Amino acid sequence: MRIPSGRPKRLGALPMTSMIDVVFLLLIFFLVTSNFAAPENRVDTALRAEGRATQAEELQPQIVEVRLAPSGNAVFTLGENTVGSREALAQLLRQLPPEGGVIVRGSDSVPVQAVADAMQAAIDAGFDRRSYSPGSP
Amino acid sequence: MKKRRKKTHRAVPPFDLTPMIDVVLQLIIFFLFTSQFGELVRTEIDLPEEPGETTPTEEGPDLTIDIDSSGNYLIASEVMTLTEVEALARAEIAAIGEAVSVEVLIRPDRNIPARHLNELTQSLAGLGIRQASIGTVAPAVPRTSGGGG
Repeated sequence: MRIPSGRPKRLGALPMTSMIDVVFLLLIFFLVTSNFAAPENRVDTALRAEGRATQAEELQPQIVEVRLAPSGNAVFTLGENTVGSREALAQLLRQLPPEGGVIVRGSDSVPVQAVADAMQAAIDAGFDRRSYSPGSP
Repeated sequence: MKKRRKKTHRAVPPFDLTPMIDVVLQLIIFFLFTSQFGELVRTEIDLPEEPGETTPTEEGPDLTIDIDSSGNYLIASEVMTLTEVEALARAEIAAIGEAVSVEVLIRPDRNIPARHLNELTQSLAGLGIRQASIGTVAPAVPRTSGGGG
C-alpha cells in the first residue's frame, strides 16, 4: 500500500489572463446593457381636430382650458373655476364624474409643460378618457 | 537495417474551450450592442416633467415625433417640416392599414409654446390619427405646484 506523504501538493499558479478576460467581458456587457438615459413616461391622449363638434354622448366631457393669465402664468379653467396648479385642477376634476372623459384645450401661447400638467391632473383624477384639442390662440 | 520506429499512440490535444467562450461572448456583446442603437437615436429633449400613466403600455409607438426647443419637428433626429412629417405619417397609415390604429408618440420640449404641439396634433388629427401620447420624464423632485408658466 502506498503511504501518502504528508507534504501538501503545490497549487498551480492562478491564470490571471483568463480571469481578466472574463472580468472585462462582464464589464463591457453591463456597460452595454445598462441604460444611462432617464426613463421616460408618457401621457396617453386622444386627438381631436380644432373646432370639431362633440358627438352627442350620454355624458358630456369636461373641458379644461389651458391659457396664459395676464400675470404670465398658465392657468386652468374648468367651467367657472380657474386654478393655477396641477394639484388644484386634479382636485376640481375629482368632484366630477370621470365617465364622460375630459378634453384639454391648450392655447397656442402656453408652454407645453402646462398642457402636460392638465393631462396629468386628468390622470390623477381618474379620467381614463382624455382628449387633446388645440385651444384658442 | 532500418531501425523500426516504435509506434507511439499520438494523444489528441485537449480541446481548448477558452477561445471559443471568448468568441461566443464577443458575439453576444456585439448583438446586444447593435440592438441598442434603436434606443440611442432618441433625441435629447427637455421633456415635460410628469409622472405619466400609472399603467405603462408594453407596445412601442408606430411613429415618434420630437419637437425641440426651437420648435423644429424631428423624426429619428432629422429635422423635418410639418409637410414632411405628414408625409411620413401617411406612409405609416398606409403600412398599418388604418389611421385609427396608428399610435404616435410626441416628445415636445416642455418650454416651447403649445402652438407647435397644436399645429402637429391638428395635422395628425386631420389625417385621421386618434391615438397619441406625450412623452414625459419623471420629475427628480416631486413638484408641489404646476402651471408651467
